[in-house]
Amino acid sequence: MSAVPAAVQAVLEEHRGVLGQRMATVEEAVTAMVSSGLDEDLRARAERDAHKLAGSLGMFGLPRGSELAAELERSLGVPGGPAPAEMPRLAELVLDLQNQLQGLLEHTAEDEPQEGEDPSAANRHAVLFVTPDPELSDRLTVEAVGRNFRPRSAVTCVRARRLAAEEPPEAVVLDVTFAEPGGESLDFLEELSGQEPPVPVLVLTASEALVDRVEVARRGGGTFIQRARPVTDVIEAMSDMVKRVAPAHFKVLAVDDDPAILGAVTALLEPSGLEVTTSEEPFGFWEALTATSPDLLLLDLDMPDPNGIELCRAVRADDRFGQLPIVFLTSHSAPERVQEIFEAGADDYVSKPIVGQELITRVRNRLERVRVHRELAEKDDLTGAASRRRAGGTLGALLALARDQGQPVSLALIDLDGFKRFNDNLGDPTGDAVLRGLGELIADTFRGEDVVGRWGDDEFVIGAYGMTRDDGVQRVAEMLEAFRRQRYTNSEGRHERISFSAGVAEYPRDGGDIQTLHRAADEALTRSKERGGDRVFPVGPGTDIETAQPDIVVVDDDDVLASLLIDSLQTRGYRTRRFADGQEAADALSGASPAIAPSLILLDVDLPGLDGLAVLRQLARDEVLERTRVIMLTAHSGEAEVVEALELGACDHVSKPFSIPILIQRIRRALRR
Amino acid sequence: MGRRHILLIDDEADIREVAGISLEAIGGWRVSTASGGEEGIAKAMAEKPDAILCDVMMPDIDGPTTFARLQENPETAGIPVVLLTARVQHADRVGFAQLGVAGVLSKPFDPMALSDLVDALLPPLAAGASEKQ
Repeated sequence: MSAVPAAVQAVLEEHRGVLGQRMATVEEAVTAMVSSGLDEDLRARAERDAHKLAGSLGMFGLPRGSELAAELERSLGVPGGPAPAEMPRLAELVLDLQNQLQGLLEHTAEDEPQEGEDPSAANRHAVLFVTPDPELSDRLTVEAVGRNFRPRSAVTCVRARRLAAEEPPEAVVLDVTFAEPGGESLDFLEELSGQEPPVPVLVLTASEALVDRVEVARRGGGTFIQRARPVTDVIEAMSDMVKRVAPAHFKVLAVDDDPAILGAVTALLEPSGLEVTTSEEPFGFWEALTATSPDLLLLDLDMPDPNGIELCRAVRADDRFGQLPIVFLTSHSAPERVQEIFEAGADDYVSKPIVGQELITRVRNRLERVRVHRELAEKDDLTGAASRRRAGGTLGALLALARDQGQPVSLALIDLDGFKRFNDNLGDPTGDAVLRGLGELIADTFRGEDVVGRWGDDEFVIGAYGMTRDDGVQRVAEMLEAFRRQRYTNSEGRHERISFSAGVAEYPRDGGDIQTLHRAADEALTRSKERGGDRVFPVGPGTDIETAQPDIVVVDDDDVLASLLIDSLQTRGYRTRRFADGQEAADALSGASPAIAPSLILLDVDLPGLDGLAVLRQLARDEVLERTRVIMLTAHSGEAEVVEALELGACDHVSKPFSIPILIQRIRRALRR
Repeated sequence: MGRRHILLIDDEADIREVAGISLEAIGGWRVSTASGGEEGIAKAMAEKPDAILCDVMMPDIDGPTTFARLQENPETAGIPVVLLTARVQHADRVGFAQLGVAGVLSKPFDPMALSDLVDALLPPLAAGASEKQ
């Protein structure tokens, strides 16, 4: 039991006498109604005590008790006391409330270990079946016992709720075949999903079920299985869910200089079955890291010297921890800081003040992916990538997880450009070095839990959880830029470079299964190859290359800058067109029906022919800005220029000198709008 | 860079304790308590907490009156107050909210969620007061 529930339990122990007295006052008042008559003093005391019970029982895990007490409070509070006719209803409420309280008080006594109990019982997972069909319930129970579960079953949700309160189950199988939309089964589902940690629910449906999946998802979700499937399948699916939420073997190391935060993190994560080790000062950190060898590292960004970023880099630099998931705690969510966090090699971040559920969810998601990955990883020695068969299995699990959690997955297909020719010219050992180099680069670029598979000789598939197509293109393009810089030498000492092409698809936008996604990514890859390779294409409409309009027009007279920029843009799959002269650009881009209609224009201010602001004025006049976004490139941050440009309708400005990655970020943002 | 500080005013010992545990362990608050309105007003004056969580129904003076008295005093007028009430009537809750308090929370509360709820109601400065300056 974690710190908080245990402490709450201790408070309950301490105050159970008071709760009992309050119950007694309420009971006395209701009894008095029939026997001696209810005097004003007793009525007022009973009303007050019912109010207090209403205000506290839910806190001790008895929400129903609070509701009953509140109803008694209302009845006792009517002027002149409740009408005699109300008596039977009140007596019933008192009885129900007593039962609730009794359960609560007995439960605390039962918490003591009992002798003579089956010692193995604690090791078997408690599960709960809720179905109106007793025959199905029996078959599930028999199967579950055989699989070493401790099953209980309920025909109604009322009964199920009581059983769940007695002993929280580790998984619930809920039959919604006959459930009404908005009915009690769904309330129960919502309660289970809302618990901390949430109880996983396997939802049994029939194709003609009254309740649809959307409604179930809205109530907190659950995994579906057809009711008609054999009970062995149902139990198997349930067993997976229990395993998934029992990360008992996962260890988390939390490093923060604030003991209060460490205390809170521990209190939040331990109920999820995680083993939390804390370290208050960065200097004891390496010792703690090597001693615990955690499955996940939580780092505070705001620690003083050395700070979280520095620690993160140091951890990533050690190849033993290259794959360790790192999550930051930060009170900064400014994009630059976030960028810095990711650049240092972090996987995720959680903002302070910590909102409990968010931390738990993020940590569990990371660990879940680590688990999926570990179970299925089977690596190719040369590249470190998983075999095609294994990668396929892991990708399937990743997609299933993404479906459950409503997350995207980006699927990138990477193929070396002219690898066969390269191999023939430079020899197999060099070819192997290229494959190894690419494998290492992929491992460096993507996170430990992303799936990397070697699909064919020189073809790789990368599945990255939580990444959109756009994120994926960006990540792969950065990798391509690094890959191009590598030089390979053959036995005669000749240096050569090699590039790759890539296509990127997104689950579920471009397909719901691996085959469809692979096909979509492959089409994008083919388009990239048709354009000469050495670039990354997202899945998109396959426009005819020759007649296609450019996506981005660069208007800048600086040849060096323009060529660097165009290279970066083409690497990311954008079609580009460049003008060095303002007048030429204005002629092509403005007018009643412009010759060129791009999505975005990067417009330098200082231009020969016609300056940038004059070009922008023409674009504004001809309503080109209605469909085309403009980012102004200003040489010196002349404020007046910037203000005029934005007033004319430019969507952003970047002042020179700028770094190309930052400009790319701004371009992506502008295109997303 | 001390921890943020909350004053908890409730006449019920069990509620003070459970709320205190929740706010300390989960929210990282430093918690002080008072068992009634008068004591709460005195403590608010003396301790100048970053926030106050105050029960509505108390034997000496009730929560709204406590809040009004805190508002009258310029030294305590700026402290955000969240009222805690077991009144389930929507109209009651709206009435409390209209007093100008930072928020109204219902009793019973879930000890695991209380701290998040309080954080959600408090203005960012009070909620974030624990962050490094």
